[in-house]
Amino acid sequence: MLTVLRGGHVVDPATGKDSVGDVWFEDGKIVAPPAGGKADEDIDCSGHVVMAGAIDIHSHIAGGNVNTARLLLPELHRGIRARLANTPLSTAKWSTYETGRLYAQMGFTTVIEPAMAPHHSLQTHLELNDVPIIDKGALTVLGNDDFLLRQIRAREPESAINDYVAQTVGSVRSLGLKCINPGGCESFKENMRAFGLDDEVPFYGLTSRQIFQTLQKATQAVGIPHPLHLHMNNLGIAGNVQTALDTIDAAQGLPMHLAHVQFYAYGKEGSNAFSSAAAVFAEKINANPNITVDVGQVMFSQTVTISSDVLKQFNSMPGGSPRKGAIFDGDANGGGVVPYAYKISNYYNAIQWAAGLELFLLIKNPEQVFFTTDHPNGGPFTAYPELFALLMSAELRAEMMSRLPAEALEHTTLPSLKREYNYYEIAQMSRSGAAKLFGFTDRGSLAPGAIADIAVYKKSRDVAGMFRKAAYVYKDGDLVVKNGEVSHYKRGKTLHIAPRFDNNINKRLDAYYAELYGLPRGIFDVPDAALPHKDAFAEVACKE
Amino acid sequence: MSKATLDGKAIALDDAYRQAASILSGAKFPLVAGLGADVPGARAAILLAERLRGAFDHLASRDLLADLDVKRSFGMFTTTANEARVRADVVILVGPGLTKQWPGMLERLALEQAPVHGTHAGKPRQVIWLGPDAEEAKAVPGARIIPATLEEISGVLAVWRARVGGRRVNLEAAKLELVDGLAQTLKDAKFGCFVWASAVGLDALAIEMMQALVTDLNVTTRFTGLHIGARAGAAGVTQASGWMTGFPPRTGFGRGYPEHDPWRFEASRLIDSGEADAAMWISAFDGEAPSWTRSDIPLITLAPAGAAPARGLFIEVGQPGVTHDAVLMAQETGGMTLRTATAPSDAPTVAQVIDAIMAQVSEVSPC
Ligand SMILES: [Zn+2]
Repeated sequence: MLTVLRGGHVVDPATGKDSVGDVWFEDGKIVAPPAGGKADEDIDCSGHVVMAGAIDIHSHIAGGNVNTARLLLPELHRGIRARLANTPLSTAKWSTYETGRLYAQMGFTTVIEPAMAPHHSLQTHLELNDVPIIDKGALTVLGNDDFLLRQIRAREPESAINDYVAQTVGSVRSLGLKCINPGGCESFKENMRAFGLDDEVPFYGLTSRQIFQTLQKATQAVGIPHPLHLHMNNLGIAGNVQTALDTIDAAQGLPMHLAHVQFYAYGKEGSNAFSSAAAVFAEKINANPNITVDVGQVMFSQTVTISSDVLKQFNSMPGGSPRKGAIFDGDANGGGVVPYAYKISNYYNAIQWAAGLELFLLIKNPEQVFFTTDHPNGGPFTAYPELFALLMSAELRAEMMSRLPAEALEHTTLPSLKREYNYYEIAQMSRSGAAKLFGFTDRGSLAPGAIADIAVYKKSRDVAGMFRKAAYVYKDGDLVVKNGEVSHYKRGKTLHIAPRFDNNINKRLDAYYAELYGLPRGIFDVPDAALPHKDAFAEVACKE
Repeated sequence: MSKATLDGKAIALDDAYRQAASILSGAKFPLVAGLGADVPGARAAILLAERLRGAFDHLASRDLLADLDVKRSFGMFTTTANEARVRADVVILVGPGLTKQWPGMLERLALEQAPVHGTHAGKPRQVIWLGPDAEEAKAVPGARIIPATLEEISGVLAVWRARVGGRRVNLEAAKLELVDGLAQTLKDAKFGCFVWASAVGLDALAIEMMQALVTDLNVTTRFTGLHIGARAGAAGVTQASGWMTGFPPRTGFGRGYPEHDPWRFEASRLIDSGEADAAMWISAFDGEAPSWTRSDIPLITLAPAGAAPARGLFIEVGQPGVTHDAVLMAQETGGMTLRTATAPSDAPTVAQVIDAIMAQVSEVSPC
């Protein structure tokens, strides 16, 4: 069936389009306007913005740690409304089903879960499988695992490390590599309570710097399209901007993605010894085009922090609200779940909120900075529409700032920033740039040949409302959202890569697992047969 | 060949599916209980309960909720069996019958070997067993045995906790010396680990006391816990229930969205009170029978061959991981895995049977 979305304001940075026009699609793909020009379905999109489906590059939506949060906090997600027809469990709060519905309603069609532990991958994939409508992907976590740390300690050749990385990323069906407080979680098991860039991991004698540099190189050598996704040391600590600046220097010009950087944009100014250092951080990012970041914006709400940075999560427990938490010392990273309430009246939270917005507004290239709240760590992904609105309106920001503690405004440059994002920049950040970051060639774009993942928003002065409930959302050309409501489910894919490696690593790993655990390594695999549907996965090409 | 019976008499499978669908759809508040199934079976069962606007419960909910209640009221430190195996230098086994709950425990934890990870690698492991049963006491050579009945365990842990914290306790001198020695062993641990199973009868109070002790010990060193999951696939079912509904079993859908209430949605109470007016009982591992007493509520049983009750509709299912490959939570890794069938047969899986029934249950109209 040939469909045309007619007369909308087409905002598609991938093709440079930012004007009124038509978007045609057929059989799930965007097509060029056909010569005859007769569509089976002709949708009037005048007064609407038409964009490719959005891509969330970092959102904790699945896996054992996320599920622990669900089970830990029943009081935070009581249901309130019955579901509509044909959408089972879509109003079950925090469920995978609700996640798919809410993302689709906002026009998001691809979401990446950023922290999949290699030994717990199957559950992550089962959960992702139960997120309806959207496509998904997951990053696998290395950098606190014994095998890699031994390899680095023994100064094994890069080729051996590359084989291990490629084998792991591929066998757990992930989309790339993440490193979370490299060496820090292992050090926490050794009772260290702080771990910086150049601290040594006991037992292995390696620094955090060495570990992530090794993984950064391996990521490139193996041909993983997404640069190493790094969760740095010292998250959340006053003065930690120095760690971030030093980390960027340590990247040595190679591609690297820094996760939820707002949590690293802190100085030690003021009577609370806590200030925003976003300006100096943003300047550094602007000067280093090899670096991409996502923000991890704080939004004022009750939430829960979920992280595989176990050391940091343990240290967060005394400040938790409500006062409980779960700490899991996993086979490598593990995870920590600590509930937290960000309050507008709290000086520290106000600085965090402001620092995030400063980063958005001071980083010049919208394809270098990405949209996240590090869901749910800074706030739920459902707060994105409010965040879009804040970026697009200096007036709205001023209104919010008037409610912050006055002292906080003295330690952020936010009041001086008048920049307002336009639709095009929003689309660069959430569509074209995000696709580039993961090496997606089939999405984040309305060019002919791209999959017909399309979001149509009715223009409104209420920007948050506009982005919260899309007028139409198409997934693979199928209308899944109309007037902000999901009409039915369809099955999305889980995207993954399959890098090449020398098979000798398999023999070596078999021997390692047999020796260390006395277990066949296959117990950790993610076989197709373990998923409810045959066509759960779709491969994304590696770089040659 | 798979079989179905109605009040003990053979009926065709298609008839069985149709009858099951009609019983469940005709009920005001149907219950999906037992839930002794693999992860795909649990997933299908929860979707069925949702569509019916009924409730679901697991046969080992008492045990799984004992752990969860501590987690969600107090918090919890946990690890995997493999991490305990490679790193723990002090292991405290808590309670009797652990090796019955998890027959592979001693092999997996390799307690007689020294830990191999961490700066303490190679130093001998210390094992303490609090309240083992008589046969188990000798199972770990060199373990310190602290005799205690099940009921005494939380009191013993409380005394340990007091002494770890340097607080006074009322004990005779000889006993105090023993306890202080133990407390010192705990404090000196580099990476200590408690191992427990709520299923042996430990209540939330004892588990909370243990976790409180773990929390205190973590102020100065590293300590964690390893829990042994309850029977009939409880750990995997709890995870699936969590991501699908946000809640563990004992959850109902009467209002069109999940509500969790451990008292209200307890299976036996729902049946015996008559609040539930039809039930599906799933017990695919071993055919364990329901614990409710009432026998006038229409019942559909999904269980392996030989476990057909005299009354109601019975549909034979295979045993997860035995007659068919099955996704289960693996106690030895703490993660989900695909277990290959050890004695494959053509008996259908729980998920297959429920899908066949579901196909005949019309979508409930939303309110
Ligand atoms: Zn994150």
